Amino acid sequence: MKGLFKSKPRTPVDVVRQTRDLLMYCERSSDTRESKREEKMLELYKNIREMKSILYGNSESEPVSEACAQLTQEFFRENTLRLLIRCLPKLNLEARKDATQVVANLQRQQVHSKLIASDYLEQNIDLMDILIEGYENTDMALHYGAMLRECIRHQSVARYVLESAHTKKFFDFIQLPNFDIAADAAATFKELLTRHKSTVAEFLSKNYDWFFADYNSKLLESTNYITRRQAVKLLGDILLDRSNSAVMTRYVSSRDNLRILMNLLRESSKSIQIEAFHVFKLFAANQNKPADIISILVANKSKLLRLFADFKTDKEDEQFEADKAQVVKEIEALPGN
Amino acid sequence: MSRQDQDHHEITRRVQFPLASNSYRILYEIGVGVSAVVYKAICLPMNSTVVAIKSIDLDQSRADFDNFRRETKIMSLLSHPNILNAHCSFTVDRRLWVVMPFMSAGSLQSIISSSFPDGLSEPSISLVLKEILNALSYLHDQGHLHRDIKAGNILIDSNGSVKLADFGVSASIYESNSARGWSLSSSPLTDVAGTPYWMAPEVIHSHNGYGFKADIWSFGITALELAHGCPPLSHLPLSKSLLLKITKRFRFSDYEKHEKDKSKGKKFSKGFKDMVGLCLDQDPSKRPTAEKLLKHPFFKSCNKGPDFLVKNVLQGLASVEERFRVAKTLQSLQPVVNDKNDSTDEDENEGDVISGRREKQRRISGWNFNEDGFKLDPVFPTESSTEDDSVVKQVRFGGETIIKSNIKIPSVLVQAEKVTTLHEDSTVGELTESNLSSPADQVGSSSSSSDQQGMGGGGELGESSPSSPGLVVGNSTSSEQGLDRERVLHDIVLIRRSVEEERRILLEALRVLGAEEAVDVATTREEILTQTIEKLRSELEIERKKNLELEMEVEFLKLQISSRTSD
Repeated sequence: MKGLFKSKPRTPVDVVRQTRDLLMYCERSSDTRESKREEKMLELYKNIREMKSILYGNSESEPVSEACAQLTQEFFRENTLRLLIRCLPKLNLEARKDATQVVANLQRQQVHSKLIASDYLEQNIDLMDILIEGYENTDMALHYGAMLRECIRHQSVARYVLESAHTKKFFDFIQLPNFDIAADAAATFKELLTRHKSTVAEFLSKNYDWFFADYNSKLLESTNYITRRQAVKLLGDILLDRSNSAVMTRYVSSRDNLRILMNLLRESSKSIQIEAFHVFKLFAANQNKPADIISILVANKSKLLRLFADFKTDKEDEQFEADKAQVVKEIEALPGN
Repeated sequence: MSRQDQDHHEITRRVQFPLASNSYRILYEIGVGVSAVVYKAICLPMNSTVVAIKSIDLDQSRADFDNFRRETKIMSLLSHPNILNAHCSFTVDRRLWVVMPFMSAGSLQSIISSSFPDGLSEPSISLVLKEILNALSYLHDQGHLHRDIKAGNILIDSNGSVKLADFGVSASIYESNSARGWSLSSSPLTDVAGTPYWMAPEVIHSHNGYGFKADIWSFGITALELAHGCPPLSHLPLSKSLLLKITKRFRFSDYEKHEKDKSKGKKFSKGFKDMVGLCLDQDPSKRPTAEKLLKHPFFKSCNKGPDFLVKNVLQGLASVEERFRVAKTLQSLQPVVNDKNDSTDEDENEGDVISGRREKQRRISGWNFNEDGFKLDPVFPTESSTEDDSVVKQVRFGGETIIKSNIKIPSVLVQAEKVTTLHEDSTVGELTESNLSSPADQVGSSSSSSDQQGMGGGGELGESSPSSPGLVVGNSTSSEQGLDRERVLHDIVLIRRSVEEERRILLEALRVLGAEEAVDVATTREEILTQTIEKLRSELEIERKKNLELEMEVEFLKLQISSRTSD
């Protein structure tokens, strides 16, 4: 490989162009001779690797920003990303990983202080459909998933994904039997619902009804421990975010939601209990509790106080103790039953 | 046609193992940690293929799920003959099952502790390390740091193949989001991870960042571990060697003597010493890359195949489950006296448990490699321990290898307990609670901020602060109250009691073992037990010696107190 670099010093633009040619070959070829094809594929792998080396540097040298900019510009000037995503299943494992890292890096490259990847994706937003459907393919899921997570760093892309029918699919993806894939989908789901505050707030207000109905029934009440634990943690992150305060107010005014959270509080899993507490405290701290919320809390007053009496985190956590004291105060102040 | 070939290639790469627990039958336990258990099992629908299953209790680990996601992802995406992959991973209620190929000879650490307590021969070391370098070279090329290279994470199969395992604390350069995380040659990582004995200096001082070269350091320590049977200084409790430095006037010659005993009859080649020396350069940038190390004469001259390991290392080795059972039996003989210690604070590394010993971990701020003696001289941290706390955090899930999130060094005296003792937790527990100030504090407060002191330099620590000689307990620099005679005396009494307790337990263990031997008929087991008894006897000897030393120290302390009070 080193020999290759020495013998023909190519510009970043050359590397991208050659990669594109080889990808085009890869996409259509099925007729050529085996040995020929193999040779071309090896050539392609080398080129992808060289792109990676330009973008990330190697053990001997740091990346050069000018070279990165040239590469990025050429890459998005034509449809290289689409070709690469489409051909990914035909590449070998190492090349898939290299390609994923190249795509990830390109999302952050600025050319004339502009993220040109974002512009490209806006024009080619259907690529997201391929990436998301990747979760249904065991071999491709981790590669497409990693690319997807990088792409939704762009707000416009995240908005597209959130507002598409794909969001619904994530409720299933995060419960896939393969742990590595399910965990990858969960990471993407979390990113979608926490990264771009204004987009998330807008999405949640517009889609409140179906989203939280599904969230409750499919995730918080799932039979799967991991799903419940991750879901209640994420719910806390979402509701505690200031930009989602309107959604939070709505959520903590529902007795159905309160019932679900109180069930989670009673779980034998300490981790779930703690996370559930961080959501439950919002119900208790709400200064405008609806009557039916109050009546549930009153009915369970003594049980709740007993629960909180020996409710502790493993490690000392001042914030948690303060929150707990506050919640206990709120509940104690309720009329007795 | 070509498509078919491609598909075939994919299939051989990753055969889909079933994702349901009822497809597997668990045979034996072969390793335990705080929140993980490793089993030998068979996969029923796949012709009863033997597998290893690591079962992690997710509820016990508060760690972010991202850690598990990363570990399982790495294990399914790496593909190299010297790296242990996962067949698959799935959850079983609150546990995560990671199904892996079964490496029938187990970890190199367990092999060494059961058959080669004084280390492996050089050809074997060279062979194993070369395989590990291949793995490292691939791993680094992929942008991953392993961060926990040690014999306990090197697995051997019955055919002599060598694999690097356990990616629980590994990190990816590409996933690190730090500001400087975008190039391979820089030092993008800043979190502390790994197992202290093997940890590179720049990882301990991680605020400056570190990179791939941290693995090379650990690789060098592993080389010493394979050569001597244990990593540098693990044969001595670290705090004891600290004590040794502070109270140099006592001239405990234990350390030097031990080193001499160890190296007696063991000669290492120039090439080996040179190779290790390169890895253990204080300056990470001067350490060679894995790829470059592979070209070192020490590995160039290695032309043995896996058969060599089969013949020279694996022959006559008890099975993994047998070794684990023996280790566990030994452990169960330790009566739990008064378990006040927070068990999550304890390191229970799989390999260490298998060998039947647990190592108390202490941080070391640096090492000076001593090529002639082929060992490392430790340098201890000089920051105050409160600062340590903020730097060191629990980085590893499963509690398998934990850097204690809150390192409290209880007391020099109490800690002066050999790592190979079978039970160190309970009797020590009470003292940890008492207000003895830690020796690290003493060193921190009395020495300059230089952290590059070797053994020689360390010896001066006591002298540099004549007003606080050697072992000042409860010094006002670290705790508000001054010298409290009552407390010190009380502690001394406690220490004495714990030492006596220790002896009693050891004798008890010996007795029980003796009795069991008489009953047991299986010859192999008998042999193992005999060996164990031998080991225990020698440990008892060491214990006695230590007891004596401790008593001397007690006398010294008394002397000090009386001189203080007369002041």
